Amino acid sequence: MTARKRRTILLAGLIVLGLVGFLTSLLIGPVPTGLSDLWRLVSKGDRDLAVIVVDLRLSRALLAFFVGAGLALAGAILQGFFQNPLADPFVLGVSSGSSFGAVLAIQLGLGVSFAAFSAQSLFAFVSGLLVVSFIYLLSRRRGVLKVETLLLTGIALGALASALTSFLLFLRTDSFEQAVFWLLGSFALAEWNQVGVVAPYVLASLLVAQWLARDMNLLSLGDETARSLGCPVDRVRGGFLVLATILAASAVSVSGIIGFVGLIVPHWVRIWIGPDHRHLFPFSALTGGVCLIFCDLASRSLLPATELPIGIITAAAGAPFFVYLLHRRS
Amino acid sequence: MQVRKVALLFALALGVSALPAGQSRAIRDDLGHEWTIGPPPRRIVSLAPNVTEILFALGLEDRIVGVTRYCDYPAGALAKEKVGGLVDPSLEKISALKPDLILAFRGNPVRTLGKMRSLGLPVFSLEPATSLESLLETIGKIGLVTGSEEAARAHAAALDARIKAVEAFLRGRAERPKVFLSLQGQGLWTCGRESFLDALIQRAGAVNIAAGIPKKWVLLGREEILHRDPDVVVIMAKTQADFERAAAWFRTEPRLKHLRAVAAGRMSFLDENKASRFGPRLVDAFEELVLILHPALQGSEP
Repeated sequence: MTARKRRTILLAGLIVLGLVGFLTSLLIGPVPTGLSDLWRLVSKGDRDLAVIVVDLRLSRALLAFFVGAGLALAGAILQGFFQNPLADPFVLGVSSGSSFGAVLAIQLGLGVSFAAFSAQSLFAFVSGLLVVSFIYLLSRRRGVLKVETLLLTGIALGALASALTSFLLFLRTDSFEQAVFWLLGSFALAEWNQVGVVAPYVLASLLVAQWLARDMNLLSLGDETARSLGCPVDRVRGGFLVLATILAASAVSVSGIIGFVGLIVPHWVRIWIGPDHRHLFPFSALTGGVCLIFCDLASRSLLPATELPIGIITAAAGAPFFVYLLHRRS
Repeated sequence: MQVRKVALLFALALGVSALPAGQSRAIRDDLGHEWTIGPPPRRIVSLAPNVTEILFALGLEDRIVGVTRYCDYPAGALAKEKVGGLVDPSLEKISALKPDLILAFRGNPVRTLGKMRSLGLPVFSLEPATSLESLLETIGKIGLVTGSEEAARAHAAALDARIKAVEAFLRGRAERPKVFLSLQGQGLWTCGRESFLDALIQRAGAVNIAAGIPKKWVLLGREEILHRDPDVVVIMAKTQADFERAAAWFRTEPRLKHLRAVAAGRMSFLDENKASRFGPRLVDAFEELVLILHPALQGSEP
């Protein structure tokens, strides 16, 4: 099969799966809804049904799609950046940094919000970015960024942030349950405004990544070769780092920690269509989005009268799949 | 014109006199959100087991359309539609029930409640202090927003009378036993100064050995318990069998078996559901606790 043919098949498959996923998302929930109800909603309008189908189900399906796309794109970028298929959106400590911020907001009992973003989301976003910036600053030696130092500093500061999070949980055990629910990830509290912020950002990031994709391909030939071919190595690296970090932090801030999507999706897409980043980026984003729509569906329909946190599903489904991919490759 | 004016005045006077003195139609809930008291709600969703118990106690059973999966008392609550748990209520389920009052309690995440408000769902939050008086106040508030003030007043007065009777018995007793309250049947979790259980122990004329710790829930070390050597160990458990298991553990634990309370056999069972819910049965737990802590009173209780 030619590479082009494989891409066409993948694209067609993703579009079909995506549409099926979206439609199922609108139909499934504790309140029985059929296609005829959807038609009635579209043709005549029905306020009560609109709250359930549009405000609750559509908003979370869209948010799941864009968060999935963002995480997978961030994963694809960082795997290219580190030239290591084990990198994921959280490798630089975004998850531990954001967790610390979110748990801090929960423990302080902050109810304030800004433009529909709860204190939890804002704290998560800001502390995620702070931790990564700190890691970045610590890893620079005389103006040069060493990739291994970056990775190892990320591990060290991530552990520190996790320790602080545990300390916060220990200080006030009564909001333990709330914090744990956040850490396991969920789209149950999706807001339209969150979709309104995350969606444009993910799309814009994809455009920028596309624009830099050729340079990312050059980076894989080694810094010297890339430079001689006219690639501004340091600027490209810096740009990708900022892009991936904000993508991961914004995803985490609206939905908690959802692991494995950013690790496995780019990995699988690379096996399917090859390592060219000009295709890897958009296909990873699309696959990640479709993937999370289905994971969210599972999260809200596997157990009766309650939701299974989505982080459990992505990890439980993702880990065995990852092992399978590794075995197949070797 | 004049006639109309008089009629208007009359209507106003009627409207005002229909309201109890000093009370306005718009109040604020415990999180500061405005709430307008209209006609009595007919479709109530309770987001906490203690709230469900209060609603039943006020005779509002027929108006409850949804409860949490933890609401198991009284038995009638088991038959009600479940809307999820304390921290993960299902927004879809709740909005489908079309409630005209959602009663939220401490422990329901602020963020979830905010999302409910943004969907136009009528949430009233209760966030009381820890004393028995705030329990009575909470019952009064639930009476106010459900349009059952009379029933609430009577219920609160009956509970108040029981509390006062117990306190009359306690008056003049100088003895204040030291107590270790064990949560969860096993393990050494207990209540710190910020918990309503600490307030309850104080009220029952005793000293909580963990009262110095400014937290709600505390995991005490064995050495700490040995050092503070309580006179009584109260074990909160779901069933008598759970209690027996926990008591047996204390008796056989190589270090804790030397505790004064354990050696003297002063270990008592306290029903977890009664004592851990900020509802009417907290007064039952209070009475039981007083009898446990002051065995001399036994037989002389009202």
